[in-house]
Amino acid sequence: MSILLPKPTTRRGALRGLLGGTAVAVSLPFLDSFLTDNGKALAATGAPLPLRFGTWYWGLGHTPGHAIVPKRQTSEGIEFLQECKPLERVREHLNFYGGFNMPLDGRSNYTHFTGWVASRTGTAPSGNNDIPAPTLDLLISDVIGNNTRFRTLDMTAAGIPRENYSARSTNSRAAAEASPMSLYARVFGSEFVDPNKADFKPDARVMVRKSVLSAVGEQSKSLMTKISAADRVRLDEYFTSIRSLENQLDLQLQKPQPNLACSIPKSPAPDGDEQNMPQGLEVETVISNHRIMTQLAAMAVACNQTNVFNMVFSDNFSHMRMPGETYTHHLLTHEETVDKTLGYQPKAFWFNCRTMEAFATFVETFANIREGDGNLLDNTLIFAATETNYARVHSIDGVPIFTAGRAGGRVKTGLHVVGNGDPITRVGLTAMQAMGLSLDKWGTKSLQTSKTITEILA
Amino acid sequence: MLRFLTRHATWMGVAGLLAAAAMPSSARANSLGFVITIWNTAIYESKFIDECPAGFNVGYDEIWWRGLSKEDRAKYTDNGLKSRLDRYFNAIRRGPNGEDVCMYPTSVQDPPLLTVEGQQSYGVNLDGNVDGSPTEKTCKHENFVGLDGTPGVDNQIYRLLGCVYGFRSYGQFEVNANENRKSNGNGMTLIEVTGVDDPRNDPEVTVSFYRAIDQYTLDGSGAFLPFGSYRIDAPGGKPRYASSVKGRIDNGVLTTEPGDVNLPFYGNYTYMNQLIQDMRLKMELSEDGKSARGMVAGYYGVDQLMFYIGGLGPISSTAISNCPSIYVAAHELADGHPDPQTGKCTSLSSAFNFTAVAAYIIHPKTTADAAATGRN
Amino acid sequence: MTPHRILHRCAIVAVVGLGLAACEDPAPPIPGYEPSFRVLTESQYRNTIADVFGAQIVVGGSFDPLVRTNGLLAVGATSAHVTPSGLEQFDRRARSIAAQVIDDTNRRILIPCTPASETAADDACATQFFSQVGRLLYRRAVTPDEVTIPVAVAHAAAKDLGSFYEGIAAGLHGMLVSPAFLFAIDVTEPDPAAAGKPRLDGFTKASRLSFFLWNSSPDEPLLAAAEKGELHDPKGLTRQVERMLASPKLEAGMRAFFNDMLAFDDFAKIEKDTIIYPAFSAAVAESAREQTLRTIIDVAIAGEGDYRDLFTTRKTVMNGPLGRIYQVPVERPDGGWMPYEFPETGPRAGIVSHVSFAALYSHPGRSSPTLRGRAIRESLLCQKVPDPPGDVDFSLFNDPNSPNKTARERLTAHSTVATCAGCHKLTDPIGLALEKIDGAGQMRTTENGAPIDTAGDLDGVPYADAAGLGRAMRDNPAAPSCLVNRMYSYASGQAPTKAERDYLAFLEKSFASDGYRIPRLLRKIALSDALFAVSDQPVRSAGVASSKDDKS
Repeated sequence: MSILLPKPTTRRGALRGLLGGTAVAVSLPFLDSFLTDNGKALAATGAPLPLRFGTWYWGLGHTPGHAIVPKRQTSEGIEFLQECKPLERVREHLNFYGGFNMPLDGRSNYTHFTGWVASRTGTAPSGNNDIPAPTLDLLISDVIGNNTRFRTLDMTAAGIPRENYSARSTNSRAAAEASPMSLYARVFGSEFVDPNKADFKPDARVMVRKSVLSAVGEQSKSLMTKISAADRVRLDEYFTSIRSLENQLDLQLQKPQPNLACSIPKSPAPDGDEQNMPQGLEVETVISNHRIMTQLAAMAVACNQTNVFNMVFSDNFSHMRMPGETYTHHLLTHEETVDKTLGYQPKAFWFNCRTMEAFATFVETFANIREGDGNLLDNTLIFAATETNYARVHSIDGVPIFTAGRAGGRVKTGLHVVGNGDPITRVGLTAMQAMGLSLDKWGTKSLQTSKTITEILA
Repeated sequence: MLRFLTRHATWMGVAGLLAAAAMPSSARANSLGFVITIWNTAIYESKFIDECPAGFNVGYDEIWWRGLSKEDRAKYTDNGLKSRLDRYFNAIRRGPNGEDVCMYPTSVQDPPLLTVEGQQSYGVNLDGNVDGSPTEKTCKHENFVGLDGTPGVDNQIYRLLGCVYGFRSYGQFEVNANENRKSNGNGMTLIEVTGVDDPRNDPEVTVSFYRAIDQYTLDGSGAFLPFGSYRIDAPGGKPRYASSVKGRIDNGVLTTEPGDVNLPFYGNYTYMNQLIQDMRLKMELSEDGKSARGMVAGYYGVDQLMFYIGGLGPISSTAISNCPSIYVAAHELADGHPDPQTGKCTSLSSAFNFTAVAAYIIHPKTTADAAATGRN
Repeated sequence: MTPHRILHRCAIVAVVGLGLAACEDPAPPIPGYEPSFRVLTESQYRNTIADVFGAQIVVGGSFDPLVRTNGLLAVGATSAHVTPSGLEQFDRRARSIAAQVIDDTNRRILIPCTPASETAADDACATQFFSQVGRLLYRRAVTPDEVTIPVAVAHAAAKDLGSFYEGIAAGLHGMLVSPAFLFAIDVTEPDPAAAGKPRLDGFTKASRLSFFLWNSSPDEPLLAAAEKGELHDPKGLTRQVERMLASPKLEAGMRAFFNDMLAFDDFAKIEKDTIIYPAFSAAVAESAREQTLRTIIDVAIAGEGDYRDLFTTRKTVMNGPLGRIYQVPVERPDGGWMPYEFPETGPRAGIVSHVSFAALYSHPGRSSPTLRGRAIRESLLCQKVPDPPGDVDFSLFNDPNSPNKTARERLTAHSTVATCAGCHKLTDPIGLALEKIDGAGQMRTTENGAPIDTAGDLDGVPYADAAGLGRAMRDNPAAPSCLVNRMYSYASGQAPTKAERDYLAFLEKSFASDGYRIPRLLRKIALSDALFAVSDQPVRSAGVASSKDDKS
């Protein structure tokens, strides 16, 4: 695997400048990492539109035979069955990937875990906590995420912060925002700078914060002695995080690039009353939180706050529940009887339908924001996947994946892509390539692939 | 008894679903404890309000309004802009010398109260006869037939208040009072049954009534939860309320012998003692031991009732009630406890429906302990 | 270890009179780990801020999740990374704490000097503040740079922002995101007693002791002892350990340990269906966790009782919210805890029968013998229960519409499938013993109208109900051995390797001869060479991450 990592910014003299009494605004090349041939221009300024990448996670897969009509070869036109009917309304934005497999080379299928780890990291885990390689969103954020306020925004509507399917390794996994209010405060709170505001004055407090972090960064040398190689990696990551935060502050010291797509959302809590916002895993609460967070995420992207985002709709053991029902979504997939007439587990199926409805909402929200001569989704690629094909038996071959969006015109949509048993990593590899990573192969062992899905590339 | 079935639909459901779990109990051995959750004057309401053929009574405001000239109406109502609540203090002081007619109900002569004319009522036969003829302890009155067909049911408080809008289920007095107790925990009644050998059948038990000082335990939706603990209001270790009567349990139905009982009350901003003379209680215990419901019947003093009604104040503006009419009728309808001097009766036969949930009743341990736990 | 040192240790122990009449066998040596660093856990961070600046400082935001390793998040902290998003949270939190420290009220207490002018820098006052605070936050003597840099930052910021206190906040912000604060870093020095070998320096030893016993940073007396080299000397070490064991902070430390060992952090995500369990509420959940922790502290720490009695004790504490769930009277329903004893003949006995276990290891609307059994095996007996195989169709035997009314009937159906039988034999008999306690922790006698049978056996010891399960657990040798393993692992921040097997066996033996008294075990570990053992050779970590995934 070879990835072109951006050169870390040096903490060139920001502290010294400040100590000298004059603030030195560090000038960075404008959005250099996503200047591409295929880049589209912002209508307002003629500057290129950034590329964005997002993931959408849902737990417990599909009901085979009731979701998408299988195909024998890749072609245009996805045929949605009852469970996926809500996706009809966003069909022009989607690709569906079916028939891709997950060879494990003798490793166990850690139920509800192996599936997402393998499809997002390209490597099968060797334990039910093992995240053997970075997830694709982080590899992408290393390339397109450096010049925004947030490298990534991680959110979950499923209420459990640690169930975030974005991680650099087992021990390097951020908590996802589980509350719409804290997500709002983090992105659009007091530190938000409106990109479309006419006047811009660098905030003295931001300069102070930068000088503080610069000083902390200087401590790296003294700590790097006498520790093991593994610990050095951990320390390195910490200092990389410090630098990344410094970069964010640099951006706040420059006049932001205006984007007419950006309109600042209102606080999700009516009258700021966070206490009365619903919480928990009752399905309507999850759906409502997901809708609010989706709107915030889309605006965070449109306002150039981040280029990479991860949304979890339901966790891998989907704990969603209906009020008064003793079985959760997960328990239903295992314990509910298959209705002989319908051919599926009716309650579990109902949860799956609600899930697809939520995905349609997610896609629609991005598509409804005008940007340049198209919409926000046109400049985005969303990778939507789950961990099982049929949760009832934990099958991992043929795990369904969707992508949504055209990645700035690099990706065609409306296709049903047939995998014919190829490793599922082909989808991730192609997505990363579309995001500009110079990557000729991805994955390990039987999950390794160098086969781009050329059919979807424009 | 049917009145609360719809409002408390879960009562039936729970009893059916759960087989006998833990029985309700107070903190004492061989005892059962309950806290009363809803307490209502037992007003029987027929579907088409047949019991009030002339309709409901007018309130104090309408009577005041009728007596005003057009000019005065404009003057006192800011040209019609003042709501009934806003003009309460004008309207209620319509005595000839500006008296508050609830404080001085005899200062005016109002139209007579429309009283209940129906045949059926909640309640029990308190005086033992079925024709309403006077006895040593009662005055002449009309009887009702119980909802189950029992003849000779005495319930003059129903006759008095049954056509007053504010006391009916959709009026405000009763609903408000229950909400008040639920939200602030005042005037809550505990029922403790002691000497219980078998919670479903026991020929001899003692039933005691206390006031609680702990608020109701509620679930997230505001429903009453069973098995909360409630301390007895006992300043200095001596319970403020401690009436007690003998009773028996038959197939899960507790009944008591008649006795004079003091019960706490709070509602519509009034704290008061409710003395119910010759009181008897009938209470059905749910099979799962979590709840109970029942009826209390007995004689309720006219003065005690008028103290409460007179104090209802501005709430009467929307509850539509008029003190002087009720005052006159209450004295006319009184059927119990004749005054030895005048021979006039001083109390009204009455009935109250209630629901309760199982509760642990915490008795004061020592005098010193209890000193801190009294509630004013 | 030299004979001289052993002798010395025995003498000290005897003098202090710790119930050891004679000198016991020397502890088997362990090779020690390479120097490493731990990321402060959320509770360590909170406790440290409260210790240094006072409990009035609000600590907000989320922390990167730790990976439970050898059953403990505290061990996961030894391998944890700080993600960009985690750092962003640390940064935000640092600024919030710094802003609170300099607010009108707190500055008077927390800043030891008054600046010459509030609108200009005052390096002398800043130096005084950062020297004091730096030592407590960095848990060691600060280097000159570590004071001059924040002073310089504060100076520049005071000038730019026109406020001395804003300058102090900037300098403090830097300290609070510094690796010296966020990471407990092992620092070594040459061991004068063993030529060419390293030893942990005094400050590192102080931190290790402090996070072990108090779950917080060292206090000034401990830092002072470290600075003077007293922690390298058995006498000085004993003095500090005795002081720490006698401190009220020990209780907070042990609460943190048991909270971690019992995976009670999962209470943060507990959720119950309010229709099925109307009496369960957030107050019940928090009280349930608290009840078990208080019981542990009362019986095993403050009461210095036999650890194993935690599985059988009927002594506990009760409060208003729990009274409704346990269906017992509570003398002070308006708040506060009171001692309570479960009835002698009832099925409730031991912490495993508490509402905490029952509710935490259940689904939102139903109990789960499998989750309960697995949690008890893994958390309390340190036994690994394998994950269920991926390809089982549960609905074949677990149909909610089937005639199988009770969990036992449903689970018995599993045993017809060979791949399931093995693991369910491990979990289900334990879980089924608790089936008379429903998913919210309330007693019941039937499920779907059918009577519940709680009989079973634990590793061959039969029982009839939850109380019997508690007795079987008490007498199961895995229970104390598990506690020893977790306690040592928690103290060292490492998952024990094969090289520590003999040492663990030694600890288990002495735990037994000490009557399974935890304070004695704490003392033994805190005074041991093992706690501070360090190697310049890499050690292969045998850390096994355990799973708390939700499966049934």
